[in-house]
Amino acid sequence: DSHIQYERVGADVTMKCGSMDWDAAVTWTVNGTDIDASHLNGSYLILKKVDLTQSGQYSCYEGSSWHLKYQTYLRVGTPPKEPLLMCRSNNYPKGFYCSWHLPTPTYIPNSFNISVIHGTREMVCEKDVFPKNRCHIRYLQLFSTVKYKVTLTVTNALGKNSTTATFDEFAIVKPDPPESVVAKPVPNNPRRLEVSWQNPSSWPDPESFPLKFFLRYRPLILDQWQHVELSDGTSHTITDAYAGKEYIIQVAAKDNDIGTWSDWSVAVHATPWTEEPKHLTTEAQVTETTSASTSSFMPPPTTKICDKGAVVGSGAVAVCWTAGLVLAAYGILFI
Amino acid sequence: MAAADNTSAALRRRDLCSRGIRLAGKMRSDVVDLLDTYVERQGLDASASVAAVEGVPVAAVERWDEQTGTQRLLENLAAYRAFRALLAQMLEEQQEQLGEADTTLGQALAAVLLQVSAFTYHLEELLRLESRGPPSEEGPEPPPAPHLSLFERKLRGLGVLRELAQWAVRSTRDLRQLAKPNPGSSSAASLAESP
Repeated sequence: DSHIQYERVGADVTMKCGSMDWDAAVTWTVNGTDIDASHLNGSYLILKKVDLTQSGQYSCYEGSSWHLKYQTYLRVGTPPKEPLLMCRSNNYPKGFYCSWHLPTPTYIPNSFNISVIHGTREMVCEKDVFPKNRCHIRYLQLFSTVKYKVTLTVTNALGKNSTTATFDEFAIVKPDPPESVVAKPVPNNPRRLEVSWQNPSSWPDPESFPLKFFLRYRPLILDQWQHVELSDGTSHTITDAYAGKEYIIQVAAKDNDIGTWSDWSVAVHATPWTEEPKHLTTEAQVTETTSASTSSFMPPPTTKICDKGAVVGSGAVAVCWTAGLVLAAYGILFI
Repeated sequence: MAAADNTSAALRRRDLCSRGIRLAGKMRSDVVDLLDTYVERQGLDASASVAAVEGVPVAAVERWDEQTGTQRLLENLAAYRAFRALLAQMLEEQQEQLGEADTTLGQALAAVLLQVSAFTYHLEELLRLESRGPPSEEGPEPPPAPHLSLFERKLRGLGVLRELAQWAVRSTRDLRQLAKPNPGSSSAASLAESP
């Protein structure tokens, strides 16, 4: 009969070949491979200071008949270290969730047990199907000053460990970041960017539990952020952007009255509107008319290179200038 | 005309609600500051657990989202009337205990007491609009404060301020519910129950 045997990393393991006598002639194999007799003490298999690589199926066969006398699956692992537990409400006032993980793997199966106590009341934390290291609780009361106490115990074949988190209802409220952040240039306004976003979809009732927002923005070329706090609305116009510079923009959310700020939203990039370079277009037109009358060489129209759609930042303006000058030079050559 | 009355009542209610929300926000901010001062001046541990104290209105509520507008106003009113009396008592005790020595705490307590009184009045106005009218104040005098040791009184004060801070947040939420176009004063207005 095979069974599973759990041993700690670094332990010394002695395996007996079932009911065989110590002096019986036996052969041990691991995962089908013969084990050298130097590891044997009589018919006992001795494994000193086992490591993870020694996990596997160990079988013992009677010497001459090759009858299988004993089989076990050795799993080498560690007892659990203190787990890391985090509880948070991103859907206030519906409830909160707790999630956990082990700081280091144990390499063997672990089971988790969580208990949530509010005052004298034990609450049920419903385990999520996915991810499995998470459970959620519905608030039965709101505005309570009584703290919640969550205890997580992790157990495996080699030991157990636990951790406790104690917190107030308000302290763990942290919304998800705002969604669908969009930043657009404002036509004919070289220093403006219009930013809009939506409440996180996980926040159940923004009308009764409104969120406030924090916007941060900076040009890509600088490290310093500008900040704006907005107590209502899901849009804002930046009016002090540097002309022609690409910006990076992010938004965070917080319940208007309690809890902490969300993580920053996904970053969006935008560049304020810039004026189309009119003087270059005029020069190219002059060049084209001149060369058309003397040769068949037709410089490509300057406007293609300086197409506004392709312009991003001040670098492209320099390209337009250079192209214009080169073409003008060619035009003069052909006169 | 009934229609015009309804509109003006609705506008007045919205106005009272938004002013009330601002009042409650300021009150909460001041109570939180007062808590810090109180803990420091009274030599208490900020994380001390205080068991529920008799006579202190508890903000915790089940099925909050199912309450009617009138229920919200009545519960708020009862709470703030109680806080008004409790804070007045705390102010008196504090003056007896420390005399004129500590005016910072006394002033902070007095300022919060003023705001609680103003908020109470605000709630009474809102109830008048509900054409329900506020209930009269308790006829008989509230029972005299139980005889407590100095330390017990300090802890009680901590409990009072903590509950008041919770109430200030609850009141903000309650007023927002009331300010909604159809707050359902005669029927329960409930949020969707999906998890």
